[in-house]
Amino acid sequence: MRRSIRRLFGGGSGNSDDARPDGGTVTTGRKSALALDGEFVQSLPFWVPPALLVGLFVYGAIGWNVLISLTDWSGLGQPDYGSLDLSMYARLVSDQSFIAAFRNTLVLLVAFTLASLLVGLAVAILIDRGIRFENGFRTVYLLPMSLSFVVTAIFWSWMYNPQVGVINEFLRAVGLGALAQQWISDPRFKLWAVIFALMWQFSGYCMVVYLAGLRAIPTEQYEAAKVDGASTVRMYRRVIIPQLRASTTSAAVVLMVFALKAFDFLFVLFGDTPGPAADILSVMMFREAFSTTNWAYGSAIATVLFALALGVIAPYLFVQYRRGEL
Amino acid sequence: MAGLAGCTGGDQGDGSGGGGSGGDGSGTLEIVHWWTAGGEKQALNALLDGFKEKHSDVQVNNNPAPGGAGSALDAVVKNRVLNQNPPSTFQIWPGDALKPYTDSDVLQNIGDNVWTEEMRNAYLPGPKNAAKPAGQFVAVPINIHRLNNLFYNTAVLEQAGVDPSSIRNPQGLVDALDTIAQETDAVPMAHSTQDSWPTLQLWETVFIGEQGPDAYVKLTEEGTDPAQFRDGIRSALRRIDQYRQHFNQDAGSISWDQANGKIVDGQAAMIHQGDWAAGQYVSAENFNYEGEWNMVPFPGTQDTYSIVMDSFVFPKNNPSPDATRKFLSYCGTVDAQRRFNPVKGSIPPRKDVPTDPFGPFLTSQMEDFQSANAQPPTIAHGSAVPPEVKSSMEETFAAFNGNWNVDRTTQGIVDALRQ
Repeated sequence: MRRSIRRLFGGGSGNSDDARPDGGTVTTGRKSALALDGEFVQSLPFWVPPALLVGLFVYGAIGWNVLISLTDWSGLGQPDYGSLDLSMYARLVSDQSFIAAFRNTLVLLVAFTLASLLVGLAVAILIDRGIRFENGFRTVYLLPMSLSFVVTAIFWSWMYNPQVGVINEFLRAVGLGALAQQWISDPRFKLWAVIFALMWQFSGYCMVVYLAGLRAIPTEQYEAAKVDGASTVRMYRRVIIPQLRASTTSAAVVLMVFALKAFDFLFVLFGDTPGPAADILSVMMFREAFSTTNWAYGSAIATVLFALALGVIAPYLFVQYRRGEL
Repeated sequence: MAGLAGCTGGDQGDGSGGGGSGGDGSGTLEIVHWWTAGGEKQALNALLDGFKEKHSDVQVNNNPAPGGAGSALDAVVKNRVLNQNPPSTFQIWPGDALKPYTDSDVLQNIGDNVWTEEMRNAYLPGPKNAAKPAGQFVAVPINIHRLNNLFYNTAVLEQAGVDPSSIRNPQGLVDALDTIAQETDAVPMAHSTQDSWPTLQLWETVFIGEQGPDAYVKLTEEGTDPAQFRDGIRSALRRIDQYRQHFNQDAGSISWDQANGKIVDGQAAMIHQGDWAAGQYVSAENFNYEGEWNMVPFPGTQDTYSIVMDSFVFPKNNPSPDATRKFLSYCGTVDAQRRFNPVKGSIPPRKDVPTDPFGPFLTSQMEDFQSANAQPPTIAHGSAVPPEVKSSMEETFAAFNGNWNVDRTTQGIVDALRQ
């Protein structure tokens, strides 16, 4: 769009007069400004409605949410936009529940992203080694991604069951019964159990992204590394993985944005009150807004979440912009 | 015109639900509720069938918002009330759970046209008070569940040699659990800590058992300083910490109905639950009341009937005022409560409902209710405290379910109730 605007203004000053893409025949030097207006006007129906819709429903809603967070709206009356202040944000800072939820959200964000990337990379490399039934394995690893969180949350609550769950049964079977734990009720493990389950679900996605990255690397580089006598580990570490930076960045951004939105999984397992050990901002936001009708406070939490998402995605967009890929 | 359009539909309108387009005429009653599980759904259908028989001119748009204990309904209804597009009526816990609605004045006062003299005289005091949390009648309670039950598997208790009716107080229950643990392989007390509310309701019941219902009601009243009950709060928590030694190991990974299933298959001896749990026993095969299972009031609460109710309300900006009034009036009749409650597994809030459609268990509950000295409302099920306080209590108990830290939880409860 930026390019077309530039062309528009460039054209307006009368120094670019090449063929019109619409094949119009009336373009003469004198009439060019008018003709460009015509083109501009003709393009309006194509981009104005979506721009307005996105503007209203995405950016308008975000703006409204921020506005609500500045009021002190609660209950089922209408908000009072007359007195706006930051009291909700002040309340956040001193709220132990918020601090716990914020900390858990950050832990989830970092640990889940790192773990999924590492597992995804490992699986992608293994699959890229030209194993048999490659397509089959790829499907197997990607399948969890296609399941609803409601389904996987129930699965995992069964698997984590301390008495009859697969995980503890397995630990006992291999003689590690001492490691069997109350995975989703002991506050020490609760959040990690959730992170592990989410990693299981998302590492398949990372695998696909990495696999695409690996496939883009020419075979000559593998061969050259071999010829130069590099071991397999060394080859991956020095030659292949450094070339996967773009895959890592895009997968990491998707994972981190997801981690901020992870709601379904926790809600299915623990309802709207997971307790301080596993509470995260999105669940807390829901609880404040819909269980206790503290709309302004819920909006303030939503704004914090939005700022975090922006913090994740803005550097990525900026780098893309600098590279001219945007 | 709109009225005509509504009337032409006759008495159809089955439980297809879904749309939620709001009432499209004064003759269409849109009812939003969370009763979608087995027995609940049938109970609601029985109620609606009765309503359609009486008022064949009203079309019913049955629009459920599934999700246990209103978790989804809350969001749906609150959004619609805020947008001034409420359904004709919706299900909600009466009592303090209505506070956000009465504070914002979005519910119609139905003291004149629904709560007639006849109805006021017929309702029992507990439900009647819950119907007017802010002084005016705004809700019609339709059922009463009892919360302070101790259900048990008779065979397991016989094997252990424990007579549950001889346990006089919450302390005595600890000894009984010890005996069961020694004498049998069964889990002495089935429990679920995946959600916070089963432990919260256990705590309020133990508190009543140790401190009495008056102290409990005082504790939950607005304006009481909860700190004066600190010792009682702590003592009840400590008792639960003792019970905890006898919970099933997987309490944190199962839901309440899975825990309740352990009573049915004999893996566990007892469970504390509301009497909605009995529905599971009734539908189990070869599992009969007084034969395979039985119930005693939770030790120490013999003369108390902790009540958990559901009600319907009349939101303002109502799409179908006439139909809503008819429906609410109907909910307050003997006919409605006789159809609904036996299926739901609850007892009617009216005194004059005949006992014959109710099975032996509910009949015995009705007798207990009539003779109960106290009918306190509940924190875990919304009638005793506003949602804000309930949410803080749930947070406190979600933490307690993991760390079992009595001191910190005591402070959490005091802080939550102070709000």
